[in-house]
Amino acid sequence: MKNKIKDVVLFNIGAVVVGLVISACMLLFMDVNPVTVFSKAFLKIITDKYTLGEVLVKATPLMFTALAFAFTYKANLFNIGAQGQFYAGATVAVTLSLSLGEALPTPLLILVVLVCSFLAGGLIGALIGLAKAKFNANEFLVSMMSTYVVDAFMDYLLRTFLRETKGEYLQTDPISQNAYLPNIIPGTRVHLGFLLAVLTAIVVWVLLYKTPLGFRIRAVGNNASAAELAGIRAKKIYVIAFLISGGLAGMAGLTEINGVQHMLLQDFNSSIGSYGIGIAILANGNPIGVIFASVLFGLLSIMGTTMGRMPGLNIPASIIDLLQGIVMLCVIVAYFLRYYMEIRREKKKLQKASVEHA
Amino acid sequence: MLNVLSRAIMMGTPLLLGALAEVYAERAGMMITAIEGIFLMGAWGGFVGTYISGSAVTGLLVAIGCGVITAAIYGVITVYLRQQQIVTGTAINILAAGFCAFFQRVLFGIPTTPLQIKTLPKLAIPLLSKIPWIGEIFFHQNILTYLVYLLIPVAWYVLNKTSVGLAIRSTGENPQAVDVAGMSVSRIRFLTVLLAGVAGGVAGSFYSLGYLGMYTSGIINGRGWIAFAICFLGNWSTKGVVLGTLVFGLADSISIYIQALSGGSAFPNELIIALPYILTIVLTVFRKSFNVPTQLGVPYSKEN
Repeated sequence: MKNKIKDVVLFNIGAVVVGLVISACMLLFMDVNPVTVFSKAFLKIITDKYTLGEVLVKATPLMFTALAFAFTYKANLFNIGAQGQFYAGATVAVTLSLSLGEALPTPLLILVVLVCSFLAGGLIGALIGLAKAKFNANEFLVSMMSTYVVDAFMDYLLRTFLRETKGEYLQTDPISQNAYLPNIIPGTRVHLGFLLAVLTAIVVWVLLYKTPLGFRIRAVGNNASAAELAGIRAKKIYVIAFLISGGLAGMAGLTEINGVQHMLLQDFNSSIGSYGIGIAILANGNPIGVIFASVLFGLLSIMGTTMGRMPGLNIPASIIDLLQGIVMLCVIVAYFLRYYMEIRREKKKLQKASVEHA
Repeated sequence: MLNVLSRAIMMGTPLLLGALAEVYAERAGMMITAIEGIFLMGAWGGFVGTYISGSAVTGLLVAIGCGVITAAIYGVITVYLRQQQIVTGTAINILAAGFCAFFQRVLFGIPTTPLQIKTLPKLAIPLLSKIPWIGEIFFHQNILTYLVYLLIPVAWYVLNKTSVGLAIRSTGENPQAVDVAGMSVSRIRFLTVLLAGVAGGVAGSFYSLGYLGMYTSGIINGRGWIAFAICFLGNWSTKGVVLGTLVFGLADSISIYIQALSGGSAFPNELIIALPYILTIVLTVFRKSFNVPTQLGVPYSKEN
């Protein structure tokens, strides 16, 4: 077991390095020296406090969406609707912050928003889980379609009830300062949401590996029919796993609305759902691994922005997607290589044993 | 009204192309979750090829090339390395978005005016286009749409009435049997993925070559996923997919019509956009006769 974790970490670090090298080579097409650009960007990030903080700001919502994917993944279910669940959470967060912004003291307000954004995402998740449990619907497709439905609903609200008083853009009014998540590192934009995300990851780890419910979820993930025979009601687990997964994605709504953006916009953070999947895979579905993988993705994304801002080089900000896409593919291939090596090692062991036996 | 219907047919063309390929691949057990990326690469390839060479035919070929390469990467990882299809597709979609935007900048820098190409001309079919209503709706389209008209019966025939179709369908239902019959499951699956690359490449190029006459990074904007959803909505059959495409195509053009008409009033226009997705969910949840291939998304390995 120990050996296995070491293998995962080693292979994934190797994959990330290979991915970075490949993407760095892409910079040669722009006639810039990748080594100097990468080291310059890296230096800027570690020396500039604000930029370093941005890494954690970027990582925060990714932790939630990655946890959302990882959570159902443990039950061998695919929730790829984290984007929609995040939108549901964000819509609820902004509505509550706008309407209760002045009425409640900050800690109480944040708590209310936290619970409600969890419930908003969780409700959508639970419905998907219910469709799976009751009708054996393909949860992959239903969760994917749900994102578009939630997105359309959010657009509708943004165009009508939630639209800013000026009525100019498809966005809400800014929320009151009273509803802001407090800043935790002065001189940066890092807010309490980051700590909340790390704490949530730890709670999810405890839930999955140290509680009876977590055991049931993992049992269903390993073999649903065997789990049924052992008296675990797999269908109930589907609903619960999806409820929690959706809720986790919904919490990103709180951290992004009350922590960063302070208003709701159309097409807001539109790729954190898919990045969450990549991060969960990089972390091998482990909640603690998710913390580190999210910070890595945050770092990659800030590196991309920093490179894009370097004067005279003309590097497009889309280098972020290129970087993250290549790294993700390398990690997937590394999965295969690790599995292949393991099989070979086992085979060798068997051969050796049979020779000794003879 | 005629305009709305004619537009629905036009917007349905790439969706149907993508969905037909998706049916073939899924019947063989492969979900093409990279379809969004394949569409995007097709759109970009079509634009670049046409812009540089000045010929739409070259553009189309480049689009097919880009689609096939993207599909091949997806196929190698999912078929031969047996990795998760959903996860691999997600990675490829992100990569494709980054790749197109990055190389667009490498090739063209930051142009001061948007780069334009000529869109494919609308061809009126002699005689047929003179039929009232029907002519206006179906026979004032561009060449790709006519190509898709021809493709529908061919796709149906090959899938349902030939040994190739049988092999594809068996691969999705009972790969062991295909293996025993001496055919390679991996090869059949890989070929259907490549087919999806060709179709997806052409479908993507429809948006740049046939519709917008330019390339923007948001050109596909989830339309690959719509083709994916249509395959489910159409119950994995060619006929169903044609109907499903009409539903999505109509919703798309009606919502644009209403938007133009009402100019952003309180009418929940978004509901019409969401309707096909809701319909897909409802059908996925409640439909009894389900054609879903049993081995959909399950990697096949001879040893098991």
